[in-house]
Amino acid sequence: MLRSLGNALASSVGRKLVLGATGFLLVGFLLEHLHGNLKLTPIPGLGDAEGEKFDTYVEFLKSFGAGLYLAEIGLLLLFVAHIVIALKLAMENREARKQGYVVRSDRGAKTVGSASMHVTGALLLLYLIKHLLDFRFDAGFHESPAAFVAETLSQPVQALIYIAVSVVIGIHLSHGFRSAFQSVGFSHPRWNPLLVVTGRALAAVIALGFAWIPIYFLFFHG
Amino acid sequence: MIQASPRLDSKCPTGPIAERWDKHRFDLKLVNPANKRKFDIIVVGTGLAGASAAASLAELGYDVKAFCIQDSPRRAHSIAAQGGINAAKNYPNDGDSVYRLFYDTVKGGDFRARESNVHRLAEVSNSIIDQCVAQGVPFARDYGGLLDNRSFGGAQVSRTFYARGQTGQQLLLGAYGALMRQVGSGKVQMFPRREMLDVVVVDGVARGIVVKNLVTGEYERHAAHAVLLCTGGYGNAFYLSTNAKACNVTAAWRAHKRGAFFANPCFTQIHPTCIPVAGDHQSKLTLMSESLRNDGRVWVPRKDGDRRPASEIPESERDYYLERRYPSFGNLVPRDVASRAAKERCDAGYGVGASGQAVFLDFLDAIERDGEDAIRAKYGNLFQMYEKITDENPYRTPMRIYPAVHYTMGGLWVDYNLESTIPGLFVLGEANFSDHGANRLGASALMQGLADGYFVAPYTVGGHLAGRALPEVDTENPAFREAELACRERTDRLLAVNGRRTADSIHRDLGLAMWNHCGMARNESGLKTALERIRELRVEFWENVRVPGDGEHLNQALEHAGRVADFLEFAELLAADALDRSESCGGHFREESQTEEGEALRDDKNFCHVSAWEWNGLDEPSTLHQEPLDFEHVKLTQRSYK
Amino acid sequence: MSDESSGMHLTLEIWRQDDADDRGRMETYHLDDVSPDMSFLEMLDVLNEQLISGGREPVAFDHDCREGICGACSLVIDGKAHGADAETTVCQLHMRRFKDGDTIHVEPWRANAFPVVRDLVVDRSAFDRIIARGGYVSVGTGSAPDANAIPVPKDRAESSFEAAACIGCGACVAACPNASAMLFVAAKIAHLSHLPQGAPERDRRVLAMVDQMDREGFGNCTNHFECGAACPKGIEVETIARMNREFLSAALRER
Repeated sequence: MLRSLGNALASSVGRKLVLGATGFLLVGFLLEHLHGNLKLTPIPGLGDAEGEKFDTYVEFLKSFGAGLYLAEIGLLLLFVAHIVIALKLAMENREARKQGYVVRSDRGAKTVGSASMHVTGALLLLYLIKHLLDFRFDAGFHESPAAFVAETLSQPVQALIYIAVSVVIGIHLSHGFRSAFQSVGFSHPRWNPLLVVTGRALAAVIALGFAWIPIYFLFFHG
Repeated sequence: MIQASPRLDSKCPTGPIAERWDKHRFDLKLVNPANKRKFDIIVVGTGLAGASAAASLAELGYDVKAFCIQDSPRRAHSIAAQGGINAAKNYPNDGDSVYRLFYDTVKGGDFRARESNVHRLAEVSNSIIDQCVAQGVPFARDYGGLLDNRSFGGAQVSRTFYARGQTGQQLLLGAYGALMRQVGSGKVQMFPRREMLDVVVVDGVARGIVVKNLVTGEYERHAAHAVLLCTGGYGNAFYLSTNAKACNVTAAWRAHKRGAFFANPCFTQIHPTCIPVAGDHQSKLTLMSESLRNDGRVWVPRKDGDRRPASEIPESERDYYLERRYPSFGNLVPRDVASRAAKERCDAGYGVGASGQAVFLDFLDAIERDGEDAIRAKYGNLFQMYEKITDENPYRTPMRIYPAVHYTMGGLWVDYNLESTIPGLFVLGEANFSDHGANRLGASALMQGLADGYFVAPYTVGGHLAGRALPEVDTENPAFREAELACRERTDRLLAVNGRRTADSIHRDLGLAMWNHCGMARNESGLKTALERIRELRVEFWENVRVPGDGEHLNQALEHAGRVADFLEFAELLAADALDRSESCGGHFREESQTEEGEALRDDKNFCHVSAWEWNGLDEPSTLHQEPLDFEHVKLTQRSYK
Repeated sequence: MSDESSGMHLTLEIWRQDDADDRGRMETYHLDDVSPDMSFLEMLDVLNEQLISGGREPVAFDHDCREGICGACSLVIDGKAHGADAETTVCQLHMRRFKDGDTIHVEPWRANAFPVVRDLVVDRSAFDRIIARGGYVSVGTGSAPDANAIPVPKDRAESSFEAAACIGCGACVAACPNASAMLFVAAKIAHLSHLPQGAPERDRRVLAMVDQMDREGFGNCTNHFECGAACPKGIEVETIARMNREFLSAALRER
C-alpha cells in the first residue's frame, strides 16, 4: 500500500500535490518566522527597540532542547522536498518541448509570479543558504541574538539584500499561495477570486513584514 | 413495371413486423464463444457506426482491426451532428411508441425504405439511449435528474435526446471510449491515418482490404473473415456540403467496383438550415441544427427584391411562408419540404442577403417569449458559431440560412443483415442505403449509425462467420497482390499526369454542375447536361490534373486527387440514377413530377423499388437491378404536412 | 498591380518540414486579395492552390469538419494556439481579424509528445493512448439499465457536459509553457466523475490516465492556466484541481 502511494506521489500529479502541501507548510513557517522577527522592532505589544522580547523568544525556542532540533530537521525536510521537487519539475518541463516556438505569445493567464517561480525559487534557495550562515550557524547570533541582527542589518549592503529578498518572497507567494490550493485540489469558481486576492494580500503582508525589519535597522534603529 | 432482380435477396424475415427481428436473430447461426477469437474482422471508419461495431464485436471476443483516415478515431464526422438522436422511449408521455417511430420514419422517407429494416431501427432505438447513458453521455436533463426530450423536424412528438448542440460529438465520444477500451485490452488494433483503397475478394467473399498509410505512403494488406465498411456518405460529390473535408466515396466506390451494388445514389438530402455561401473561397458549408426551427420562425419579405435590414421590415410585410403553406407542421416540416420551399422563395426573387440566396430564421419572438437566457441555454453554441462565421449577432438580428447538401440516403445496397452483394462485406451507417428511404428525418442518422453498430452487425456478422466455410486466406494471396498493384498504378497515374489544374478546382467544377443540375430540383435535360459535364470533367481530370510531390510522404494533395477521381466516376452514377427515377420522392425532386401545389409527386406504380446499380466498367452503362418495396403496415399515401 | 482589389495583402511565415526527420524551417509566402470573409483555413487553401499551380508542394495541415468540433485543426498563429480569438478553433477564425499588410506566423503544436509529421501536422496519438487507459465507462454493449434508472442532477449533468465538450485538439498542450496535457486529461476525468455512471471506476481511471500521461512525455502543470485561456471549448482549469483531488483520494484508497 505504501509502495503504491509512493508511486502515486512520484507521478506528475502526485508531486504537484506534495509541492503544494509543502508550500502551505512553508507559508505557515514563514508567518511564524515573521511573527518572531517582528519582535526585533518596536511594535506595541509585539516587540521593542532593545530586542528584549526577541531574545526572550529565542530563549523560549531553545528551551525545547532536542525538540527544537527535531523541528529544524522537519523544516529542513520540508525545504528539501519543496526544492527538489520544484527543480525536477522545472527540468522536466524544459525537456517536454525541445523544439520551441519561433514566435511565442501568451494569453495573459500567465503572471509575473507564475512565470518566474523557478527563478524566484532558485534565488530563495541561494538566499536560504546565506541566511542560515548569517544567523543560524554564526556563534555571534547565539550569544546575543537581537544585537547581532541589529549589527548585521545596519550594514547597507546586507539590509538591501534582505529587502530585495523580501520582494522575491512576495513574488513567489503571489503565485504560490493560489497555486498550492489548485495543486492540492481546491478550486471553485465562487472562491477562486477570493483565493487570488487573499494570496496576493498574504504575499504583500509577508513581503512588507520581512522588508520592514532591514528597513527599520537601516533607517530607524539607534 | 417493377422487375424484382434475382440478385437482390433482401433476406427480410416474414411474419408480424414486431417479431421479425427477434425471429431473425434466433434463426442466425451463433459462433461458439471459444471460436470467436479465431475470427478477424476489419472495420473501416470509426464514426458512430464503425466505432460502435468495432467495440461491440471486440467485446464479443472477435479480433478486430479498425481503420480511419483521421489522426484519431474520435474525429470521424459523426462528431459534427448537432441536434439529437431519436428514440421511442415515450418519456414525455406524448403518445410515442416503437410503432410510431417506425411509421414516421417510413413516411418521412417517402415510402422508399424497407419496412422490416425501419421497424428494427425503431425497436433498438431505446437500447441505444440506455447504452449511451451508461457510457456517460451527458444528455440534457430536467431538474428531476431525468432525461429531457425535444421535438424535431418531421415529428409531432418529442422523442429527440440531445446534448446541447453537440449530440454527435457526445455520442461519438461514448462509442470512441468503448472502442479505446478494447484497444487498451488488445482486442482492437487501431490503424489511424489509413485510407482504404480496395476490398479484396477471394472466392467471391470479401476477405480483406488494401490501405495506404497516409504518413509513410506505404500500401498495407490486411486479411480478415469479414469486412465492415462504415465510411459515411458521399455528399462531397457536390463539393460544397456540410460534410467534413475528408468525407469521400472512395471506400464505397472501390467496393462497388469489386461487385457491391450501389443503391439509390440519387437520394441526397439537402438540409434547410445552413449558413449561406459567402464567396468563391467557400470550402464547405456549416449547418445550423434543425432544432433551431423549434424556436426560430422562417420568413422572407413579402415584396420581392426587398433588401431592407430585417429590423426595418414590419410584421405586416413579412411572409412566414412555412407557417402559411403548412399550418399543422409550420416551421417543423421535414427537411426536403423546408429546403424546397426556401429555394422556391429565393428563385421567385424574395431571397435576402447580398446574394439573395438566403431566408431569415428569426428568434426574436422566442427571445421575447422565453427570455434570452433560455434561448442561450438551448442554442448558445450554435448562435456563437453563427456569429463567428458571419460576424452577425443572431440574438439581435435574424439568422440568414439557405439549404445545403447534408446527408446521403443512398449508399451500398445491403440486405437485412447489412451485407452487401459481396458476401462477407457489410456496410453500416450512412454508407449503406437501408433505413431512410428517400429522405431522412432529423435526429435519425445518429440513431441508425449506432443501431447498425451496436445492435445489428454484432449479430448478423456472426451469422456470416458461423454460416459460411471460410478457408484461411493470407495477404500473399494473388487477389491481395493484384489489388495492391492496381492501387499503386492508380497513384502513379495521378502523379504522372502533371497537368495544369489542381484537383480542388476540378472538384469545385464538379460540385457546381451537381448543384445546378442535380441538386434540390432536377429535370431530364438538366440531368443530361450534368452527365455530359461530369464526363468532360473526368476526361479533363486525367489529362490535366496536377498532383505535386510523391507517394512516399504525407501528401494531402495526392489524397484529395484520388478522392476527386472517384467522385468523378461516382457522380455519373448519381446523375444516371436521378435521370432514371423520373418520379419525385423525398429529397429527389423531379420537376416533371409534382402536384399542382408544387409538392413532390411519387410514382408508386413504376418506382416503388430500390434501384441498385451494378458496375460494368468505365464508360459502360451500369446495370440496374430493382428490389420491389412492399408496404404492409404503412399505407402508401401522398405525404402531407399541411 | 491593382489598387482596387478589395482584399488584403498578407505575408505568411509558415513552418515547413518534410517529415519527422527533417529539421524544418520557416518559409515566407505572399498572398494577395484575401477576403475578410474567408476562414483562416480557406486562406491557406488559396495559398495551397497557388503553390500547386506553381508546381510546389502545398502546406500540409490537419483539418476536417471546419466547424470547430472535430478538433483536427492545430495551428499556432503568431504564437497563440488557434490564434488570438477566445474559444475559437482555427477553422472558425476568420480573416476579418487581420489587417491588410499583416505578417502572420504559422507553426505547428510544439511538444515532444506531439512530434511533427509534416509541416503543420503533428502526431497526437498520445491522447488516444491516454484515453485507452481509462477514459471511458466499462459498459459492454447491451448490458445497460434503462436510461432513466439513475437520475442525474441537472447541474451535475451540465458540469459533466462542460468537461465533455473537449474536442481533443491539443491546444492546451500547445499553449502550456510546460507542454503539459493536464487539462485534456482532467477534462475527461471530470466528465466521467461528475456522473454516477463514472463512479465505479473513478479511482482506477484517474491513476491509470495520469500514469499514461506521464509516460507520454508531457510536461508538468505549474498552474500558469494558459491552457484554460487557450481552450477553444472554454474548459475550466478547475477541472485540473478536481483531477488532483480525485488523484489524491484514489492514491490514498488504493490497496
